[in-house]
Amino acid sequence: MFVLLRQLQRLRRDAALTAPPRRGSLALRHVDAGSCNACEHELTAAANPYYDLARHGLNVVASPRHADVLLVTGPVTARMREPLLKAYEAMPEPRTVAALGDCAMGCGVLGDAAALAPPLDELLPVAIRIPGCPPAPDVIAAHLLAHLHGETPAA
Amino acid sequence: MSFARRDVAPDAWRAEVSNALADGWRFAGLWAEDSGLRAAFARHGERLLLAAPAARDSIVDLVPAAAWDEREAHDLHGLAFAGHEPLRALVDHDAPTPDWTVPVEGRDVFQVAVGPIHAGVIESGHFRFHVVGERVLHLDLRLFYKHRGLERAAQGRPVAGALPVVQRACGADAVANAIAFAHACEDAQGQATTPGLARARTLLAELERLYNHLNDLSAICAGVGFAPGTMAFAGLKERAMRLNATLTGHRFLFGAVRAGGSDLAIPAAAAAEARSVLGELRDETRRAWRELQFAGSVQERFDGVGVLELEDARRLGAVGPAARAAGVAIDARTDAPRLAYHRDFVPALPRRADGDVAARVEVRGAELPVVFDLLDELLGEPLEPAATEPGGPARRDGLALIESPRGQTLCAVALREDGVVERVHLRTGSYANWPALAQTVPGNLLPDFPLINKSFELCYACADR
Repeated sequence: MFVLLRQLQRLRRDAALTAPPRRGSLALRHVDAGSCNACEHELTAAANPYYDLARHGLNVVASPRHADVLLVTGPVTARMREPLLKAYEAMPEPRTVAALGDCAMGCGVLGDAAALAPPLDELLPVAIRIPGCPPAPDVIAAHLLAHLHGETPAA
Repeated sequence: MSFARRDVAPDAWRAEVSNALADGWRFAGLWAEDSGLRAAFARHGERLLLAAPAARDSIVDLVPAAAWDEREAHDLHGLAFAGHEPLRALVDHDAPTPDWTVPVEGRDVFQVAVGPIHAGVIESGHFRFHVVGERVLHLDLRLFYKHRGLERAAQGRPVAGALPVVQRACGADAVANAIAFAHACEDAQGQATTPGLARARTLLAELERLYNHLNDLSAICAGVGFAPGTMAFAGLKERAMRLNATLTGHRFLFGAVRAGGSDLAIPAAAAAEARSVLGELRDETRRAWRELQFAGSVQERFDGVGVLELEDARRLGAVGPAARAAGVAIDARTDAPRLAYHRDFVPALPRRADGDVAARVEVRGAELPVVFDLLDELLGEPLEPAATEPGGPARRDGLALIESPRGQTLCAVALREDGVVERVHLRTGSYANWPALAQTVPGNLLPDFPLINKSFELCYACADR
């Protein structure tokens, strides 16, 4: 285990992540509404030692009841519509919906109309749009941080 | 590679399947088409397609691995299978709970329902555990929350337009799915592969396997709360994905596979640089793997948990690392004439194929050096764009088998003469293994399920499609 910890320590030094200039936090709840799993991989990767989303105060929480932001991936399948809306209903206010990836933004290639619900935009008020197929971990972080600090994300 | 299509009358379906099995054919998938029922079989580079104009009898007693296939053909295409009793709902979510669960009764038995939304960053799916206290008696899966109708969406498009849809059945198996589709289309169109094309696709398939195996080891460590292992392997996976982006422009290798050829170009200098990056990655992977071996508290959590018995692995048609961990040495790479694997390719096996979490972890560890060797060899020369060449007459049907990081993936296509996709069916390694996973859970403690689940690391997206 000590070798692993040393390896991680060196990795962190090499990654040379800076301390965040500003304070703040967002509790994130992820809902997969029919993604291809690539957005999930990149959201998980955002916690790896190369990005360390947590240093910005961005943390994935287990329940929508603890969340500020609902991070939605996928084009919203008919079968995930109800669970998605229930997760949103369970969130305390104020609450924010983020479309994570091209599919959730309604511009993906995925799916047959009969198997899909209306796009996320028509189901919930989307305030954060994170483009990409899938968006890379640093892009996810940049968009969430811009929202946290009231800025417009760089294109 | 030889291909044979046998047209079968509905009342001869069972007999033909029995004959095929007796002749040594291995079941590879069953699906519905507008014009009836299809089943695919494989045998040492040969492919057999059985086609019946309608469904009549179930083959689930002859081929238990076809259980999900028949349930899906029923739910999505309205086919009935006499003798498949009870034919539980699989894709149909309107069915009431008793129609898709197995009744478990007795003193103190209760159900624990988990999902479709999970506590971590996990895909959507529902698990219904029948338990007494902490002990699981039975697990019913309800997947297909992510069903996007991808096969239907791909149909009616030309091959080039259908490929991105099929590829995105799963982000983490995008290369395997895309190669399977490309091979199936080329098989139908009578196009043969060329050495450069085979090498490009094999390289992509192994790059995909590399980042997936590293990801799985990270996820398994997370399954027992071993953060140093989780983060170390997550860091290694990140470097593998950055190499993917350097070589192909995409971290998940999206868009790197097309039907009819390959546009991938890796000049000599880039190939040499990639080999050097892979050399460093290999050394650090070896060190991290060795450390994991000596983390006693972790290893003890792996031993004897979630056992897939050899008999069940065979019966349920398990594939990939999960099957190899249970002692079934099947690997579609040993039977891949369109790819650049050596003829004597032998899949890596664990020292003790006990079928438990420990064995599934060890298969990944044993396969990683093989993947590094293959990548080093494949990058030994620069890679140039390549194309298929005419190989034989075109026909309507095409079949292909690919070893994805999760196991054998079947792609079947039916093409119109103008090259439009009339039907595409994708049966991924995850789809094949979900029933086997459910089989390993009874007898274990409920809190061990995340670990068992991660030791298979199956994808929901490419099962649901």
